[in-house]
Amino acid sequence: MSDETESNRPAATAGPTDETEQTVNTSTGRVGPAFDHRTTVIARTVVRVVVPVVVVTALALLFQGHNRPGGGFIGAVLTATAAVLVYVIFGLEYLQSHLLGIDSSPNEPHAPTGWYRWLFAGGLALAAGSGMFPLLAGLPFLTQGVAFVHGLPIYGELEVASALAFDLGVYGTVVGGLLTVVAEVGEE
Amino acid sequence: MVASSVNQPVVVAPLLVALATAILTLLARFDLRVERVVSLAGGVGYTAVTALLFQRVVLGSESVLPYYLSNWPAPYGITLVADALSASMLALAGVVTLPALVFAVVSVRERGQRLSFHPLYHFMLAGVSGAFLTGDIFNLFVWFEVMLMSSYVLVVFYSGPEHTRAALSYVVLNLLGSAVMLVAIGGLYATTGTLNMAAMARRLGEPAAYNVAVAPTLGLAALLLAVFALKAGIVPFHFWVPAAYRAAPAPVTAVLAGVVKKVGIYAIVRLFFTVFVAAEYANGSALDYVGPVLVVTAVASMVYGGLAAVGRDELEQLLALSSVGQVGFIVLPLGIAALAPNLPMPNGVPGETLAAFGVAAALVYSFNHAVAKGLLFLVAGTLTDVIGTTEFDRLGGIARRAPVLAGAFLLGGLSLIGVPPLIGFFGKLLVFRVGVLAGAAGSGTAARLAWLGLAAALVGAVLTIAYVTRAWNAVFWGEPPKTVEAVLEERWSAGRRESTAAAADGGQFGVTSRRTLAVEAVVLAVLAVTLVGFGVGADLVVEAAAEAGEAATDTAGYVDGVYPEDGIDGVPADGGDHSGDGGGH
Repeated sequence: MSDETESNRPAATAGPTDETEQTVNTSTGRVGPAFDHRTTVIARTVVRVVVPVVVVTALALLFQGHNRPGGGFIGAVLTATAAVLVYVIFGLEYLQSHLLGIDSSPNEPHAPTGWYRWLFAGGLALAAGSGMFPLLAGLPFLTQGVAFVHGLPIYGELEVASALAFDLGVYGTVVGGLLTVVAEVGEE
Repeated sequence: MVASSVNQPVVVAPLLVALATAILTLLARFDLRVERVVSLAGGVGYTAVTALLFQRVVLGSESVLPYYLSNWPAPYGITLVADALSASMLALAGVVTLPALVFAVVSVRERGQRLSFHPLYHFMLAGVSGAFLTGDIFNLFVWFEVMLMSSYVLVVFYSGPEHTRAALSYVVLNLLGSAVMLVAIGGLYATTGTLNMAAMARRLGEPAAYNVAVAPTLGLAALLLAVFALKAGIVPFHFWVPAAYRAAPAPVTAVLAGVVKKVGIYAIVRLFFTVFVAAEYANGSALDYVGPVLVVTAVASMVYGGLAAVGRDELEQLLALSSVGQVGFIVLPLGIAALAPNLPMPNGVPGETLAAFGVAAALVYSFNHAVAKGLLFLVAGTLTDVIGTTEFDRLGGIARRAPVLAGAFLLGGLSLIGVPPLIGFFGKLLVFRVGVLAGAAGSGTAARLAWLGLAAALVGAVLTIAYVTRAWNAVFWGEPPKTVEAVLEERWSAGRRESTAAAADGGQFGVTSRRTLAVEAVVLAVLAVTLVGFGVGADLVVEAAAEAGEAATDTAGYVDGVYPEDGIDGVPADGGDHSGDGGGH
């Protein structure tokens, strides 16, 4: 079973090599498919550490984007990078079976692909909708405004920019678009 | 005046309708019927708002309507500008895209429509609208890309080997073109310090005041001309046209040939006749430089396109090559007009100067070509749907069995040839008149080039007659071959579907229902009636084109329209201090 020199392809039977066993134990307990990728312990450990950092950085870039370096696009690219790292190191199934807790069999289509499509369309709708919203007030397309909320417990003062809605739309579009491509190509 | 003429929602409406429809069809993908309804509603809405804008700008009293996106004043934000030229081009798009969309709904296979056809189609329209409307040269690049990205996918839509091959060369060439365009735009920004077309025209007009080096912009303008010629498929850059037009679904080809191609023409007119004309170079204006180039390429296009089309044995290829030739007829008056732009015109000519008249002639011809060629491509699409082929060998005698189809082809072909009372007659008339007036009144090289262009236009016109006649004889007259006989008897008299049609292409085309054909016939009839209607009411088209010509050549009016309050652009090139607050509150 655990023949490391040969291909451990029949993945559904969860070949109990040292590394995969670890993963099965820390997961939801379900015996997921083993990794048919020949990734090293180092790569997997590093990805475990790096992915949360990448996601947090991406969100920070997204939320400060309207008046400091960053923005929806670059935040989305980073987020997609985090997902791609998981895909590359742990395989296509890992994201939905271990991180999202969805049962899957290798024969079914990759479930998140459908969500990515919706995210893409929804993001576009949000971005365009936030641009059209000012038209209701008689202002030109894409006009942005900003409001300051005072007296908040921790923040004190919070800047709420309408550009954030647009940025969120861009974020959804780019994450959805990039991951649709990655997931579709990865499935084949 | 300021309060009423800026930021009117009608300016941005075509763009928003197309964009919103694209997104809604994307969201409605779960159910094809919903998607179709949304898509058709969007198509109707698009035609309606373009007509409204046309009515407001061209027929109404408004001249130049600026629209400051995000409420940023002119040189700082992106400005949309609707003048008579933009509004006329948008109206043209509105006339062609709706029939093509209706045709596509019944003609493109269900799987294809479910996949992504509708969002792509409307994104393409959004790109076209944006390109026609924008007053910012970098934004023009962006809308070009939006338009081309969608058209890439639409060209490869059927995904067969030959489609992929056609799309590959289409994509590679256009990517190269886009890269060159970006380089040129970057260079223009570096030289003039602005991307806003009105601001650029103003700075090129007074280079000393704005500290602008004028000479480099000529080379950059030449790069842009090459890119626009590529998009328009003018002769040295025509080689992608036949394969791409053949590969795309027929309604898409109708829009590609009718509208997308005209975006290249529009960009040439807008940038050269409105913007670069303001600059004074060593040996004259930019128009003096591009005039001979345009005339020569137009001559080459007319002759090459005509000759190549005559020799084809397949209807779609013949029409695609004819597109190359017909674009020559559109470019020719532009080139001749550029040779002597300020030549005053006699009374009764639509346009006060030769430049305005040349643009007007090009626009009337564009309109004719858009509707006629769109109609002809849809006829070819119907033939593909019904019989499964457009090769002359396997067609014939269709006139007796399908009178609507034949009548539509006849009218489209006659309009292409230029027979009165169809609109094509007026297009040809104006084009020839531009040549005659310039040749008679001009002198030296300009007159010689005008006569050369005129001679080539004559040759091109004769070739048009030749290939349209040949196509008509091969497809609609003569004895029908056995396949046609079987298919068309079933289709048009009894109305029952027989699998004989499937013989052509593995059953793929044999699934055409009677309803599909009825809708297709109605679309063709509507377009044919449009040709006749605009021919009879040619005054409207010619007047609109004349107004568009005046608007396109009136640089000062354009600049004043974009800057209703003078002096916003008073700061030097690098002054980033904006006077508006960006709508913050």
